[in-house]
Amino acid sequence: MKRRKITALLASAIMVGSLLAGCAGAAPAADAAAPAADSGEEAAASAEEAPAAAAEAGSNSLTVWAWDANFNIPALKAAEADYKANVDPDFTLNIVEQSQSSDIENAITLAGSSGDYSQLPDIVLFQDHFIQRYVADYPDAFVDVNDAEVDWTDFGEEKLSYSTIDGKHYGFPVDNGTCIFAYRVDLLEEAGYTIDDMTDCTWEKFIEVGEAVYEKTGKYLLSMDGDGNDLFYLMLQAEGLSQFKDGKPYITENETLVQIVNIIHEMCEKNVCYLANDWGDYTDQTIIGDMVAGVMNGNWIIPTIRQVAENSGKWEITNMPTINGGGGYAANGGSSLYVTGNCKDTDLAKKFLAATFGGSVETYDNALRDGGVVTCCISAGQSDVYNEGVEYFNNTPIYAQIVEMGGHVPVIEQNDFHYTARQYMAAAMININNGADVMTELKNAEDQLIFEMEGAAQ
Amino acid sequence: MKKKGKSIQAKQQRAGWIYLTPATLLIFVMSFYPIIQALITSFRTGPSSRMKWASPLTWNYTRMFQDKLFMRSVGNTFLYLIVQVPIMLILAMILAQILNNKDLKFKGFFRTCVFLPCAVSLVSYSLIFKSLFATQGLMNHILTSIGILKENYNFLGNPGSAKAIIIIALLWRWTGYNMVFYLAGLQGIEYSVYEAAKIDGANSWQTFWRITVPLLKPTIIMTFIMSINGTLQLFDESVNLTSGGPANSTITMSHYIYNNSFGVGVANFGYASALSFFVFILVAILAAINMKVGDTRD
Amino acid sequence: MIKKRGSVVQRRLIPSYIFLIIISFISVFPLYWMVTAATNSSVDVARGKIVFGTKLMENMRNLLAGQDLWGAMKNSFIFATVQTLVALFVCSLAGFGFELYHDKNKDRLFSLLLMAMMVPGVATMIPLFKMMSRMGFLNTVMGFMLPAISTPFLIMMFRQNSRNFPVDIMEAARIDGLSEFGIYWKMFFPVMKATFAAAAVITFMNAWNAYLWPRVVLTDKKAQTMPILIANLSAGYVVDYGMLMLGVLFCSIPTMIIFFILQKQFAEGITGSVK
Repeated sequence: MKRRKITALLASAIMVGSLLAGCAGAAPAADAAAPAADSGEEAAASAEEAPAAAAEAGSNSLTVWAWDANFNIPALKAAEADYKANVDPDFTLNIVEQSQSSDIENAITLAGSSGDYSQLPDIVLFQDHFIQRYVADYPDAFVDVNDAEVDWTDFGEEKLSYSTIDGKHYGFPVDNGTCIFAYRVDLLEEAGYTIDDMTDCTWEKFIEVGEAVYEKTGKYLLSMDGDGNDLFYLMLQAEGLSQFKDGKPYITENETLVQIVNIIHEMCEKNVCYLANDWGDYTDQTIIGDMVAGVMNGNWIIPTIRQVAENSGKWEITNMPTINGGGGYAANGGSSLYVTGNCKDTDLAKKFLAATFGGSVETYDNALRDGGVVTCCISAGQSDVYNEGVEYFNNTPIYAQIVEMGGHVPVIEQNDFHYTARQYMAAAMININNGADVMTELKNAEDQLIFEMEGAAQ
Repeated sequence: MKKKGKSIQAKQQRAGWIYLTPATLLIFVMSFYPIIQALITSFRTGPSSRMKWASPLTWNYTRMFQDKLFMRSVGNTFLYLIVQVPIMLILAMILAQILNNKDLKFKGFFRTCVFLPCAVSLVSYSLIFKSLFATQGLMNHILTSIGILKENYNFLGNPGSAKAIIIIALLWRWTGYNMVFYLAGLQGIEYSVYEAAKIDGANSWQTFWRITVPLLKPTIIMTFIMSINGTLQLFDESVNLTSGGPANSTITMSHYIYNNSFGVGVANFGYASALSFFVFILVAILAAINMKVGDTRD
Repeated sequence: MIKKRGSVVQRRLIPSYIFLIIISFISVFPLYWMVTAATNSSVDVARGKIVFGTKLMENMRNLLAGQDLWGAMKNSFIFATVQTLVALFVCSLAGFGFELYHDKNKDRLFSLLLMAMMVPGVATMIPLFKMMSRMGFLNTVMGFMLPAISTPFLIMMFRQNSRNFPVDIMEAARIDGLSEFGIYWKMFFPVMKATFAAAAVITFMNAWNAYLWPRVVLTDKKAQTMPILIANLSAGYVVDYGMLMLGVLFCSIPTMIIFFILQKQFAEGITGSVK
């Protein structure tokens, strides 16, 4: 009986096998949906077979993953066009759009944990705040680009500090996350203020103006994503501080941070600041939905502001308020391009990146024009394009302004748990706005953050 | 002759085993093997590219019970379970009872309407509800214009209302689905049984409890198990409708596990596996209780 | 007389009708909203415009420009269809085997398999991903469907429904020389058509709507399915709600069509399974 069962099992195993083979026959149909990616990989794969000859023949295509069709993608297209026009006319850059930055992080996590990197493209765009940890956790996922022909000193020091790991350069800086504060000057005027009142102002003054604006126009002077909360990170950086100190969370003992939390709470109470539920609400309801008279965020928020065509000419930008006045500067959410461990031709990748994002004025001018991507490369930021007035912003040369402001951003302590910290701070903020005690909530956030950091350190 | 009979039987036996082997193998390879893998991983820590054994081995498990956020996700999930499942199943039963009335007209039309939400994918309906209940959205529009609300209310931005919306969304999506099972069960009950009860003087309430419920018991247990199982594994709604927010007040267990696996940049597979094994045990216990309760009523 | 009795009955049913109308309205309204939203601009959707707009073509153009809509529809369609066919075959075979050839051991095995119902998707996600990547099944229909083919629910459904299957005829057929597989194919399949239809509806909908696992196993944009596409639409940096709702509509149409076509068989099939 037993033996019979085994034979039965075997027989059915064969059956399953043939069944699966039958399905495998169906699989190409689905695979056929991916011809473009395959051919790209094939080209790259053939390059691998003949590495020496690769540089001259065959190998002239790279695949890159990036997000944000209105911002990073046009920048990459500009780089492709630049390289095509000036280096290799046969070059093609296969840009695969990802819906959000976490898609790329997840892909690396999955690849790293299964040890199978073959699904990764040649180049990825990656968030600055995460790269250090990802290189540490998945060393095979990235290769350094230290020997690329680039004048690294031409980039801002703060920006480069993210992509430099153990003294080696891993990434090419793309977008500059310098924070701007954009105001609707027409609405400020209605409330009796000008953009000059806002420049270098204190948060106290800001709240005063905000109340007046809300009363006169019904618009909030500031809105922010309550869930991801960039707000206190930016406010804190403008004060030159971080949520971390010596590698440890610096929250309850950080008096400035406590003060900032109280300011945010006050702003929300007085209808000066509106905290949206999530990122989508922040951009769609508050900015595009025309609920606000002011927007403060990394300058990549500009294309979002510009979506409301009827408000053209009514905006201007300046720096951030601070607690004691005197002009605040911060940066938020920048990203850089990294060459992956799965890159079939790292030399080509480095050559391409060096010739474009490494400092090409043509790339950066077009990236700015088409996507509003502001360079981190100091020399490229001095071109004519940067000094042109922008119609939407009342013909002020905002990009030159941004590059100038970028120079003032203080370098603050960074940590792998940057976003985790923000997440818990955001949760605390929501609870505080719902009436919870400030110090209790901050203590909770700190405890939770310490808890998570211990978990990963084990 | 006898021998031949036996071999025919054996042949049939073998055929029976062959029939159920593909399904069995698949379940073993695709469910049991991975859950054992998860169990093993749950005793390990470190980045997923080079994991090592935890010391002590139960580290992830002891950690779990100190994790306030996980405990909150468990609390949220059970809240959804306790509030939503009974309402949904009772509503489904009421609807099935009404639709089973042979005098009712437009039965097909009503049935189709009630079942229609099930044809919509979880991601789709999450997004539909998200935009319906947005601060500037349609629901606020309607509620303010008929005077129920004075000003627009941030439904998804307040912990209480955000939870309520998840529950409303779940009810919307799944009531019709369960109703179909009940309706099918009710249609299987001979009309004469009811007639007999009526002659015996039973009122409709008694008929329901003494005839309908016992006869539908297997169906009711099945829907209970399916609903409990589905709710404990709730993921799509938490991710797409509220993103777990505000302040993680609506996050579910599965969502939290996902966040620990991929989430905000720091993958912790060991911990995530321990959490998911915990969920597995929870579901198994609840299902076992459910089946036991079902059995003893016989 | 009869007519009068009928009108009395109908009058007594008025509360039922009102209740059903309210429930039907609640059930259908969000879908109506989805359809109208697909014809409006993002700003109008965000502001809760409730009537049909004129932006359908514009939303369509934007959707097609930004996303590989047809590719995702095609993927979803192929994946869901293949999964449905294979799952129906595998599970019906198992249900058939468990019920009509049952003995103690098979019953025990069945109880064991039921345990798989309790295995949460998130728990198996990482091990399964490793398995699929080792077998080279990432971004393929195999990777998509393998974990979802054999489900205790479907097996149970087929098993329950097989209880009505006339066993006597099986014996007669055997005497007539029909093979065991012949019994499945020539007798079981035709008799159980309604169950197959119900199972097909459930499996197709589950496959079409699957989100968590595809999000993991379909790493390549070219292999993405509709739920992933629309989730991505909503997760972008700027969300166009009109376009999003159009995507949601596209994602919902096929399952609705399937449901409408197979509605009658679905009800019959379910009836069999809960008897």
